[in-house]
Amino acid sequence: MKHHVKLRKPLVKQLKKGNVKGTIVQSQPIWVRIFHWGFATSLIVVILTGLQLHKPASFLALNFSKVLTAHLVFGWFSMGFLAIRIADALIRRDDSLIPKIQDLKHFPQLMAYYFFLRSSPPPARKYNSGQLLIYFSWFLLFLLASFLGLTSYWQGEHLIWVWRLIGGFQVLRWTKFIITIYFLATIPVHIYLSLTEDISRLQAMVTGYERKPSPNNR
Amino acid sequence: MLSRRDFLKLVVKGAVLGNFYQLISPPLAEAVAAGEVKKLPVVMIETGTCTGDSISLDNIWTPTFSDILTNITDWRYDWTMMQAQGDAAYQVLQETYEKMPNEYILIVQGSMIQRDGGHYNHVAYENGKLVTGLELVRRLGLKAKYVVAIGHCATYGGPVAGYPNPTQSTGVQNILPERRVINVSGCPAHPDWIMGTLLHLALYGEPELEKYGRPKLFYGETIHNRCPRRRYYDQGIFATEIGQKECLFRVGCKGPVTYADCPIRRWNDHINWPIGCNTPCIGCTEPGYPDLMSPFTVHLPDIPFPGGTKVNTDAIGLGVLGLTSIAITGHVATSLYKGRIQKNLLRTSVKAQHRPAVKKVKTFHQYRLKKT
Ligand code: HEM
Ligand code: SF4
Ligand code: SF4
Repeated sequence: MKHHVKLRKPLVKQLKKGNVKGTIVQSQPIWVRIFHWGFATSLIVVILTGLQLHKPASFLALNFSKVLTAHLVFGWFSMGFLAIRIADALIRRDDSLIPKIQDLKHFPQLMAYYFFLRSSPPPARKYNSGQLLIYFSWFLLFLLASFLGLTSYWQGEHLIWVWRLIGGFQVLRWTKFIITIYFLATIPVHIYLSLTEDISRLQAMVTGYERKPSPNNR
Repeated sequence: MLSRRDFLKLVVKGAVLGNFYQLISPPLAEAVAAGEVKKLPVVMIETGTCTGDSISLDNIWTPTFSDILTNITDWRYDWTMMQAQGDAAYQVLQETYEKMPNEYILIVQGSMIQRDGGHYNHVAYENGKLVTGLELVRRLGLKAKYVVAIGHCATYGGPVAGYPNPTQSTGVQNILPERRVINVSGCPAHPDWIMGTLLHLALYGEPELEKYGRPKLFYGETIHNRCPRRRYYDQGIFATEIGQKECLFRVGCKGPVTYADCPIRRWNDHINWPIGCNTPCIGCTEPGYPDLMSPFTVHLPDIPFPGGTKVNTDAIGLGVLGLTSIAITGHVATSLYKGRIQKNLLRTSVKAQHRPAVKKVKTFHQYRLKKT
């Protein structure tokens, strides 16, 4: 039997909620989502073009000045998205991305979980200690890489002290390359774990809402 | 006399046409003859060096090097060029030091060898005692009008300071922090760079220096920015082997990270230069050469590990990525085997089984006016 009853909106919402195990909570505000996807796309372009600048793949036969331009433009984009996230964190007084001693104390247990020595991960704030370490290292290394990028972009017009400090152009590019390798090694881990650990948190990065399982369902 | 502007123009014009000295020496000789500029008293100390920069300097063709040595400069002490020897020669150096303080120019060729108090490099014999290069350069340097380091060894340590640097060698600036050293780098330094810098010192004083103390008029721009193969680079057309005529970036060209004017000045009297004969620039003017520039055929330097092995940067990158993929694949397999992935997906995605029921709580009637 089909109902064609028109239900009022609040009721529909209530219904939907009742339909789901656990509770629906908002976990990712709109600016966080904008930052995440904007930054992810820009950074991937930055990294791929960076690798191309490092060692051009002849078979691609890309126009190289355009590769450099893309690297720079998306470099600026990703810095812009990061700036949005920083502003957002300041406005909301959000410290969910800053690792604290309390978080790191759980790190051994978390590793035990990842190595199948425990059946469930230890309790955590919004992000667990592993996530915090990766995100925070990304934050720092991104800033460092961008800073070095700007230094080479200005070719010694500005930031001369950075040239001297780091010991020349080769070391600068080398450092950026190593940072790129770090990104390339950790991004797949990030994607893998977000797909397999808690898929509703991935959903939250799209819709903003996440389903917290009810306690008896764990 | 030639204005500084005209001089700078000649530096570029002479580079393009390959006749820098032909252009520069007549007005200069006139100025010297008219007493407008004093002849430059120059002393050269060779420390840890292969004397390559002297040989390079000797490559000045027109007018001959000896013209310059006798007419324009007062070349007082230089192992390779001087005819006197022993005490007689050393006397000249002593005299210059004592009687012309703040007047002479000290040229240093070769790296400063620091290990064991510098005793692996003796440059003089004084009152029955061996004098180290370190000591003599410091002594002369403190009283010189200008200190000019020529060649990569004297400027930044060069091959002598290459990994693992057993003699603890370094550039002149590091052992003479009190003075600003003018770095004319290169392995070897181009004769025009050396002589051009000296002439600038004689005529107009210290030239404008760039971030690593090199005169901007020769080291102001990267090789890459003026390279005739730049259009290949911009279009992404690369040589895959040394010897091909395209851009040599893929085979390790260090042009993008190297500051010098070789593309316009070229070498051996403007005859050719590395990229002109299809081999990559090896970055011989940059601090960190040769370690940071080698292997010359790849783009990034190898990474030294304790124990003396060096590993290629690209190999390390690939290794790290390989390990990551193995680790993730292993984890996926174990998770699937243990059922963790399945459990997690069910736990976090499945909706409740029961269907919620709706019950009628109130009926609304809608009333509308009848059309009359
Ligand atoms: C996380 C951020 C970034 C990463 C991972 C990255 C990565 C790279 C890599 C791998 C290279 C090639 C280096 C080599 O091996 O030769 C490169 C080159 C370069 N990057 Fe970036 N980059 C980043 C951000 C930026 C930014 C923000 C800028 C400037 C606004 C920038 C400017 C440049 C320039 C100018 C080069 C070419 C170097 C040269 O030849 O002059 N980069 N980058
Ligand atoms: S050959 Fe070297 S200097 Fe010339 S464009 Fe290619 S990379 Fe640049
Ligand atoms: S082309 Fe490069 S390696 Fe050759 S002399 Fe010039 S700077 Fe040095």
